[in-house]
Amino acid sequence: MSSMYLSQLRKWILESPPIEWGLNQLRELLIGALRQGPIPQHVAFVMDGNRRFARTHKIETVEGHNLGFEALARILEICYKSGVKTVTVYAFSIENFKRSKYEVDALMEMAKAKLSQLTQHGDLLDRYGARVRILGQRELVKPDVLEAIDNAVELTKNNVDTVLNICFPYTSRDEITSAIRSTVEDYSRPLATQARPFSQTRITQKIRSRNINALHSNSPRRNSSPEPPSTSDIDDSASSSTTLHPESPPIDSREGEVYPDPETITVDTVTDHLYTVGDPPLDLLVRTSGVKRLSDFMLWQCHEDTEIVFLDCLWPEFDLRHFLPVLVEWQWKQKHIEEKAGNGFKGSKTKVR
Amino acid sequence: MPPATRELDIYRRDAKANHKLLTPAEREKLIAPYLPTPPTSKRSKEGNIRLEEPSSHSRLGLRRFLRTQLHALIYALLHTIFSVYIRLRQAYHAVKDRILAILYYHHRTPELIQKDVKGLSRLPQHLSVILKLEDGGRGGAGLEALVNEVAEIAAWCACVGIPVLSVYEQTGILKGYVPATHRAVTRKLSSYFGPDHPALSLRAPHIPSMESASKTSSSESSGSPLQHLSVLLLSAEDGRDSLVDLTKTLTEMSQRSKISSNDISIDLVDAEITESVMGEPDLLVLFGPTVELSGYPPWQLRLTEIFHVQDNQGVGYQVFLRALYNYANAQMRFGR
Repeated sequence: MSSMYLSQLRKWILESPPIEWGLNQLRELLIGALRQGPIPQHVAFVMDGNRRFARTHKIETVEGHNLGFEALARILEICYKSGVKTVTVYAFSIENFKRSKYEVDALMEMAKAKLSQLTQHGDLLDRYGARVRILGQRELVKPDVLEAIDNAVELTKNNVDTVLNICFPYTSRDEITSAIRSTVEDYSRPLATQARPFSQTRITQKIRSRNINALHSNSPRRNSSPEPPSTSDIDDSASSSTTLHPESPPIDSREGEVYPDPETITVDTVTDHLYTVGDPPLDLLVRTSGVKRLSDFMLWQCHEDTEIVFLDCLWPEFDLRHFLPVLVEWQWKQKHIEEKAGNGFKGSKTKVR
Repeated sequence: MPPATRELDIYRRDAKANHKLLTPAEREKLIAPYLPTPPTSKRSKEGNIRLEEPSSHSRLGLRRFLRTQLHALIYALLHTIFSVYIRLRQAYHAVKDRILAILYYHHRTPELIQKDVKGLSRLPQHLSVILKLEDGGRGGAGLEALVNEVAEIAAWCACVGIPVLSVYEQTGILKGYVPATHRAVTRKLSSYFGPDHPALSLRAPHIPSMESASKTSSSESSGSPLQHLSVLLLSAEDGRDSLVDLTKTLTEMSQRSKISSNDISIDLVDAEITESVMGEPDLLVLFGPTVELSGYPPWQLRLTEIFHVQDNQGVGYQVFLRALYNYANAQMRFGR
């Protein structure tokens, strides 16, 4: 009973204007302070825990997802205010289609509603300068949702300050596979042979005719005896045919098509064919709700020196107070890396201690 | 602490009615006080701003300067507090790890290790670990320590009954010492199990495996629940590079019209990668202080449980054990 009164009192105090104003100021202050240090350029979130939150708070699953969306808005504000350039969120996995039809439909409806709402406020979006991109398999989305997506993408495509990547029906393996596929397609396209004013066949013909001419003109002068010229003639013709022959079959089989060399494919080539092309490398990946798994998200992107953080809180409660320690620790580590790079000796010493 | 409770309430009511309650204009008014100051001025109306500025320049500049100073101060304060906190945390974890290491020590006795994991509901069938080569440049000390760590972990796996162990080490130095590593692991196994230890096969992708027959004739009598342990050595070139190599091969095939690009599916890639490198591990244990994959094969990590102990340094039996405990309690949710 008393705890209920206490929570009521707490709520009332928190909602009172001066306290609210103070808390907002504190938020701004902390975010402003964060800006003073290094800031991850690309942050990814796995928004996990909406359903568990709904279950523990005895509300409907869809309500949980709605609260999750609010949390996303909160986090985006923090990220962009503190200077993060790209935010990638895992909104919907291809595996999620296995969930109940009711929930999938509700999620799709929600995505549509939020996106179309977004498009109603185009000028406000411009203020944030955020560009919305949808990463994933478009074929799996229903046409009406797709339309909302395309509208939002179209509306924000000229913004350059920040990027919001929404992984909609996405899995990382699907992304890698399609990157491989499009790389293969790119490299299987014959190179455009520039139209030069010289024809190869004409040149070969010219050489051949000149050789023949040379033979004819040479043979009488070189020898008068009948036997050697005949052999030399055969030899010459054989050699001329062998020199001309190896050139001609490839031309025939290629039919004039030249492919780029597959050996020139590098890690960067594949990276450039991913959905996240053009984004800075992933610096930080946060997964809420205590599950310590990547669940097919950003596998390719986060495999180098991305810091992966698993938090125990559920996504709808995720706020600055959870995110701040993560960011501060990241900054702290960044400073240490710099120190180590600057003077490796001292760095290793502090590390030992 | 949700700011703007009143507006939030209105927003939620609106959301419940599927955003039909408010008109776009009303909504804009609702969020107006929480919007950032329009930065568009700096981009599109650069000239205008310059014209306006002189009148209020000094005051604005001073205010901005003061605010920056305040932020810098808060930043310094935040990091001072944080570095104190992290030192305390590291000390706490170090003490805790020490105590756990004393409480749970294997004493090179398979029976003890088996007793430690007896209550677990499930065990990983494929365990993966990430190891670091310390002081790579200075003689063989780092290499020797690394081989020893591999041997220890392999012995623990044999005791617990994990049939497949893959060891990731970024530089791939171990791949050059397969016979020596094999010898070291065999020696370690026999120091745990005595003369009749489980058979060991050690291999690396694209390097033929080194087998050793189990020395026991009646394997039932051996102390290990496992008859055969296979250890796989991985390095950075088995990660992204293997996928790139696959892309090259597929490109060549496609250029010769042996396959069409539509044949490239997740299943195909998965089969190839599994064949040439390895399958998905069930559990990945990091012995470093934070979760950093440092080039670990990306394709295989899809549903792998990742375990690390905060602020931990170095390989320890208690970390291994805690990873197994954690794995047994975790609930597997496959997209559901």
